[in-house]
Amino acid sequence: MTHKNRIREGSRLADVIIYAVLIIICLVTLYPMYYVFILSISDPLEAASMKIYLYPKGLYLNSYKMLFQDNSLWRSYLNTIVYVVSDTVLMLITCCLCAYPLTCKKLIGRKFLTIFLLIPMYFSGGLIPTYLVMTKLGLYNNIWAMIVPSAINVWNIILCHTYFRSIPEDMREAAKIDGARHIQILTQIYLPLAKPILAVIAIYTVVGVWNDWFRPMVYLPNEALQPLQLYLRRVLVQQNVDFSQVSAEAAEAMARQKLSNLQIRYSMIIFTTLPIIFVYPFFQKYFVKGVMLGSLKG
Amino acid sequence: MQTAGNMEKVLHKRRPKYTREQIYENIELYLIMLPVLILIFMMCYLPLYGLLIAFQDYTPGMAIFSLTENIRWVGLKHFVNFINGKYFVRLITNTILLSLYNLIFGFWVPIVFALLLNEVRHMKFKKFVQTASYLPYFISAVVVAGMVLSFIDMSGIVNKIIVLFGGTATPLNTSPSAFPVIYTITNVWKSFGWNSILYLSTMSSIDPALYESARLDGANRFKQMWYVTLPSILPTIAIMLIMAVGGILGSNTDLILLLYNTATYPTADVIGTYIYRVGLEGGQFSYTAAVGIFSSVINFALVFGANFISNKLTNYGLF
Repeated sequence: MTHKNRIREGSRLADVIIYAVLIIICLVTLYPMYYVFILSISDPLEAASMKIYLYPKGLYLNSYKMLFQDNSLWRSYLNTIVYVVSDTVLMLITCCLCAYPLTCKKLIGRKFLTIFLLIPMYFSGGLIPTYLVMTKLGLYNNIWAMIVPSAINVWNIILCHTYFRSIPEDMREAAKIDGARHIQILTQIYLPLAKPILAVIAIYTVVGVWNDWFRPMVYLPNEALQPLQLYLRRVLVQQNVDFSQVSAEAAEAMARQKLSNLQIRYSMIIFTTLPIIFVYPFFQKYFVKGVMLGSLKG
Repeated sequence: MQTAGNMEKVLHKRRPKYTREQIYENIELYLIMLPVLILIFMMCYLPLYGLLIAFQDYTPGMAIFSLTENIRWVGLKHFVNFINGKYFVRLITNTILLSLYNLIFGFWVPIVFALLLNEVRHMKFKKFVQTASYLPYFISAVVVAGMVLSFIDMSGIVNKIIVLFGGTATPLNTSPSAFPVIYTITNVWKSFGWNSILYLSTMSSIDPALYESARLDGANRFKQMWYVTLPSILPTIAIMLIMAVGGILGSNTDLILLLYNTATYPTADVIGTYIYRVGLEGGQFSYTAAVGIFSSVINFALVFGANFISNKLTNYGLF
């Protein structure tokens, strides 16, 4: 790397331009989030004048305090965590269970099974037929609507399968001679070896389920079952949750603190996005790996 | 040779095709997969079968296919209705235009970004910019839409800046002419960093010797970029372009659903949002299933067309 860089020395001017453009791009990506953040912690009076651009004026965390008292926020947070955990665990299980037998050369009908897996990658029923099937299966307005369909992804199964195939067959044969059953070989030999690919799949599933709002919007009209993203949608997009109407106590608190709905909304954005912002830089190598694996297969 | 072959055939016939051991092993393997196969069948194949309702007058509670019950087959009625419907032209125009804007203004941004980043020698700075550029990808669509809607509000930051430069504040969130701009900017902002990953990794695998020889031939930095880096990522560009063209009718329904409102339907309503509204909220299942099939067929044709052209022009293609 350093070698290459030494060769490619160029003019100063080009350097200056490149760095300047990149810094501008960086500002464009980071500023909106920063703006939301400084507005959410600023003094309510200053925030109301909307003249805060570069740094927070005053420090008021009362909007966050109000958020913590909102029960439906916590409930939807909890729902999201339940969905994320169960989907991720199930996704890993289904991937391994389906990918392992396909790597056995002795499996009868392997060609047929491969076609069975490939068809859903290119053809899908689309929104309406899927909705009808889900309703007929009794999954409408049922927490399983969030868990069953997203526990399976043909793409991930194929990724997992490709990885399993790189594990030498001799290992399995040796274990077979020692009298191991297939399920034992899978859990005790293949699973520990496949950790890298399982990490990639797990991380993609976590972010996917965490950010998913369309599926719950279609299948979960019951607000008690809805995940965080739908709660956020009600507050941020439809704007039909007025905090001053939630309770008399909250209204009084808001009036006393001169908090605006806007500030509370911004606090909510920060509060719900913070986990992802802090976590993604550490996991980004897995994401990059996922993109690479995907492109190799495609 | 022939006799040996015959012998083998005879032997093969006499032996059962699979040994008992093999059958037991296969049962074991199939039992491991069975739950997953059933799930795939339920979640992927049943909806495919459900597409049949596009050719019927389906009402909820009816069977999708049965020999005993009476099913009202209507052939291509729903397709014809859609094409002759009053929203057909608007929907197709909006869908194609929004995707086209996205392609025109969004496709080259990741490439330029990757080319610039590739020139940075300061590793820490490079890493920081790269990580920062991924951030929007991880923020959920709901939060992004919420932020955008509050920015373009009458009292939002965008209008404040417009006023600062001497303009007049306008209600941007209900203005049909502003919607494509807002949508395109949001979409490009959300995805450019992520889309640059593939280009960057392709660039990092370019042989440094190529740059060295280019320098010996007197190529400056820009020329190295133009004659070495760009040709090396051309296959990747071609493939990404084919995929982008294939997605023209599948514009980002998610984001549009969050950003649009009744006032902006004239420029914001696309096939995906129309299916959602008329199908799920309006209950016209058969009709919207037909609309769905219509758009997938065109998508398929577009991918094949784009692939054909790319094969002819650059010799790179998906298949």
